[in-house]
Amino acid sequence: MVENIFVSIAAWLRGLLGGLGVPDLWNDVILMVVKLLAILVFILVNALWLVYMERKVAGYIQSRLGPIHVGPKGLLQTAADIGKLLGKEIILPKNIDLVVFLLMPVLIFVPPLVIFAVIPFGKDMVAVDMNIGVFYLIAVASLSTIIFWAAGWSSNNKYSLVGGMRSVAQMVSYELPLVLALLGVIMITGTLNMNEIVNAQKNVWFIFTQPIAFLVYFIAGVSETNRTPFDLVEGESEIIAGPYTEYAGMGFAMFFLAEYANVMIVSAMCTIMFLGGWLAPFGLDFVPSWLWFFLKMYLMIFIFMWIRWTYPRIRVDQLMAFGWKVLVPLSLANIFVTGAGMYIFRAIGW
Amino acid sequence: MFGQGLLKGLEITWGRMLGKKQTVKYPFEKIEMFPRFHGRFQLDVDKCIACGLCANACPNKVIQMEKQKVDNKQYLTKYVMRIEYCLFCGLCVESCNKDALKFSSVIDMNQYRREWVRLTLVDRPAPESKKTPEEAPAETAKEQAAAGKAAPGKEG
Repeated sequence: MVENIFVSIAAWLRGLLGGLGVPDLWNDVILMVVKLLAILVFILVNALWLVYMERKVAGYIQSRLGPIHVGPKGLLQTAADIGKLLGKEIILPKNIDLVVFLLMPVLIFVPPLVIFAVIPFGKDMVAVDMNIGVFYLIAVASLSTIIFWAAGWSSNNKYSLVGGMRSVAQMVSYELPLVLALLGVIMITGTLNMNEIVNAQKNVWFIFTQPIAFLVYFIAGVSETNRTPFDLVEGESEIIAGPYTEYAGMGFAMFFLAEYANVMIVSAMCTIMFLGGWLAPFGLDFVPSWLWFFLKMYLMIFIFMWIRWTYPRIRVDQLMAFGWKVLVPLSLANIFVTGAGMYIFRAIGW
Repeated sequence: MFGQGLLKGLEITWGRMLGKKQTVKYPFEKIEMFPRFHGRFQLDVDKCIACGLCANACPNKVIQMEKQKVDNKQYLTKYVMRIEYCLFCGLCVESCNKDALKFSSVIDMNQYRREWVRLTLVDRPAPESKKTPEEAPAETAKEQAAAGKAAPGKEG
C-alpha cells in the first residue's frame, strides 16, 4: 500500500481520465504534466527545506542554534526569507545585457527540473524511463555552466565576470573526473538506464566494489555544485558573490534555490550509482522504496553540508592542480583496474 | 597518511555539532552572572546611614542624595543615580562603610528614552519624629550632659 502509493495515484488518475473518455494520447500528456508538476513541487519544497537544514547544520556545527524564532523551531525561516526577497526591487545596473540578465535566473531552474524527470525515486517511480538516463543526466547537468557564465557576463561587473569565468574553468575541469568515475559503474552494469543500474546493486552496492569511483565522484560533485571547499565561483571574500553579485530580490533567490536543487541532484546521483538507489539494505523491505531513496539522498546531502562547514576554501591553482593531477588520473586508473578486474573475473568464470 | 587532517576536521565539527550549544535564547533564558559583576545598583535602605561617602567617591557626580535629620539620625529621603553618566567603576560600592550599596547581577537597564535611564533607588518622605516635643528637649539635655556639654538643647 505505502510502497506503491505514488504509482497507485498515477494509475488511479489514468483510470479516471480513461473513464471520462479522454483519448489515450491526451491521457499520457496530462499524466506527464502532472508528474512534472509533482517533481517541480518536490524540488521547490526540498530546496526550501534544505536552506533551513543548511542553516541549522551550520549553527549546530558552530555551537549555535540556527534559526529558532520564525515558526515552530524556526521552520518558516526560509519562507520568510523568500517573502522578503519577493518584496525587494530587482535592481538593473547600467549597461547590462538586459535580456540575458533577466533570463538567467529563470533558466537556472531548467536543468534541475529536466534532470529530475529521469531519476528513479522508487520502484517503478520514474517520470521518464530513459535507456540513456545517465548520459542524459550528465549532458543536461553541464548546461548550468552556461547559465552561470551568461549571468556573470551579462552583469557588466568585473566580479561577476571573474565568477563566471571561474565557474566555467571549474566545471569543465571537474566534469571530466565526474564522468570518468561513473564510467566504472557503467562498465560493470553495462547499461545507462538508471533503473537497471539500481537493480544491478541487489547483492552489493557499488560503493563497496567501486570505492575510488565513489570518492572521485563525491569530490567532483562537491565541486560541480560550487560548495565549500570548492566555492571559488562565489567566494565571498574574493569576488563578493561571483555571478550573482548584481542580482537582487527574487533573481538572487532563484540562484540560491537552484544551488540546493543541484545539491539534491548530485546526492540523488550518488545514491543511484553507489548506494543502491531505492533498494532496501539488510532486507528491510517494510520501509517503502521511495523512503529509502529519500533517506540515502538526505544522508548524502548531510555529508555535503558537514563538509561545507568543516573545510576552508582552497585556492584556484590548488583547485585546478587537484582536479587535473589527482582526480583525473585516479579515475582513469579506476577504469583500468575495473576493466582488468572484470576480465580476470570473466576468465576464472565467476 | 594522506587525508588524516581532513578526517580530523570532520571529527571535530561532528563533536561540536553534538556538543553543548553556546547560544542562550536571551530574553527567555539568561546566563548566571559572575558574583562580582557590575550590574544594576542595589541599595539596602535600612543599612544606609546617609553619610554621603558614595556621592563623594563618584568621579562623575552620578549620585544625588537628599537627607533629613529625624531625631538624632540622618534619614535618607532621596537617592537618585544618573546612570547615563555612570561608568560602573564601583568606587561608590567600595566606599560604602555599611555595605548598603551593592551591585546586583541585573544587566538589562536599557530604556526607550534617555530620561528614563535615571535610576531612583530611594524616594520617600521623612517620617514624623517619634519623640513627643516635651520629652525631646529633656533627652537631648541628658545626652548633652553625658557628653559633658552645657549648651542648651536644639531640635534638628
